[in-house]
Amino acid sequence: MSEFKSGFFVGGESCNGRVLVVDDEPDIRKVVRMTLHKAGYDVLEAENGEKAIETINYGENRLLLDVIICDIRMPKVNGIEAIAYFRQNYPRVPLIVLTGFPDTDMATSLLRQGVVDYLVKPVEGEKLKASVARAMEQRELAHL
Amino acid sequence: MTTISPTMSHRQTEHQDSNPVPAPSPMRVAIIGAGRGGMALLDALHQIRTIQIVGIVDQNPSAPGLKRAQELKVPVYHEIADLITHQELNLVMDVTGDPAMESALRKAVPTGTDVVNGQTSRLLWLLVQHESTLQTELLHAEKLAGIGSFAAGIAHDMNNPLQLILGLAENLTDETDLEAVHLQAHDIIEAVKRTTAICRDLTSYSRRASLRQDCLMSINGKLDEALKIARYAVALQDIDIRKLYQPDVVVKGNPDELLHVFVNLITNAVQAMEHHGTLTLETTATADATRVRVSDTGSGISPELLGRIFEPFFTTKPPEKGTGLGLYNIKNVIHHMNGTIGVESQVGRGSTFTLIFPTETIAGERSAQS
Repeated sequence: MSEFKSGFFVGGESCNGRVLVVDDEPDIRKVVRMTLHKAGYDVLEAENGEKAIETINYGENRLLLDVIICDIRMPKVNGIEAIAYFRQNYPRVPLIVLTGFPDTDMATSLLRQGVVDYLVKPVEGEKLKASVARAMEQRELAHL
Repeated sequence: MTTISPTMSHRQTEHQDSNPVPAPSPMRVAIIGAGRGGMALLDALHQIRTIQIVGIVDQNPSAPGLKRAQELKVPVYHEIADLITHQELNLVMDVTGDPAMESALRKAVPTGTDVVNGQTSRLLWLLVQHESTLQTELLHAEKLAGIGSFAAGIAHDMNNPLQLILGLAENLTDETDLEAVHLQAHDIIEAVKRTTAICRDLTSYSRRASLRQDCLMSINGKLDEALKIARYAVALQDIDIRKLYQPDVVVKGNPDELLHVFVNLITNAVQAMEHHGTLTLETTATADATRVRVSDTGSGISPELLGRIFEPFFTTKPPEKGTGLGLYNIKNVIHHMNGTIGVESQVGRGSTFTLIFPTETIAGERSAQS
């Protein structure tokens, strides 16, 4: 794992924050990583809920994770279960849902549970970045 | 375990009801005329257990119905007299439409045997055609109704490559490194190809079953194709898929219809397992029969319901989730292919659907039935 400074440390120059993207599609992880990296974020990847949990619990990631972007329809610990797990165990890390299948009922339910944003693929880069920026604000507020 | 085998041809003795009711002695029928009418009658009547087609005859040796009769192991006669005398027939069906035939038959047919000809015969043919058309329409309607359940899967599979294309294109708008431009353009092309493949699979599946001739198909290949389509309707990721394929197992039939049968059986199996469990696909071919088994480890079907699942419009699913036509249509398709379908099930353990067909050699010759 390369050295890393979380954007939470205000004034951290090397990056604006650390994001974990959870999606079983390598295409998605690739494009999210590309878009957010360009905007100065460091991006971790996990291909399903199980791997996401492993990644978070590995070493220092837990403290340095700022935002989680998560799909819903995934094998082995699907998105809904993973989201519940994240909200329970890392309540201060904001969650953004990025899904291929829009479902208004589920969106409302998730937003009520405190998910920061519910994005539908394909999402424009600007929207994604704005969402992550909003999540980062929430993150900083949570630590004050 | 309960085994049910609906509407079995009387020729195939293997796949029996566990509690057989003694069948009434079959009605012995002869068909005069092997044109379209005769062939339609053949197809319709040979599926009915209580009708035995003693034989079919036509002056024209290349009449289409004669070839079909051979496939169905219905005796083909060359002389009408041979067919209608000494055969203890209940009914002679004249579909030649030839008034001369009418009077000839009246003289030749022994008393005690009824004759159907002229307009009665034509009425019968129209009814048979109508039923056949209805069955085809029902199958297509059911297929289309099912496509709606693919929406989630389709959206997911198409939105993913679209996301990649969007992201890459956005990046390309200010990318200055030429090599990066080439790589990303290439990735966009690949993503488009992936999306095209999905569209192609789906449009191919949703079109009307083609009217082309039956042909010899690889069952294993069709099962794999069905898995690809079924993925859009049900989540297969958490299902353990076991394939026990005997190599080169083939069957003769309509490829679109067989694909639909397999997609249906697989989606039913996965739905029964509520997305966790083992789906087993097994194919075997021996000298006397070719078998396909689709098994699940799902909730199973109770004995009271087992006898009804092949009925049209019978379903235990809520209205949005089932038309009740799936198994009915599957049964019709299998019977058209001269096969049988049976089910074994145990509540809480799972179900196995078994399709049995006459064995084809690669040359397309049918093996003799025992």
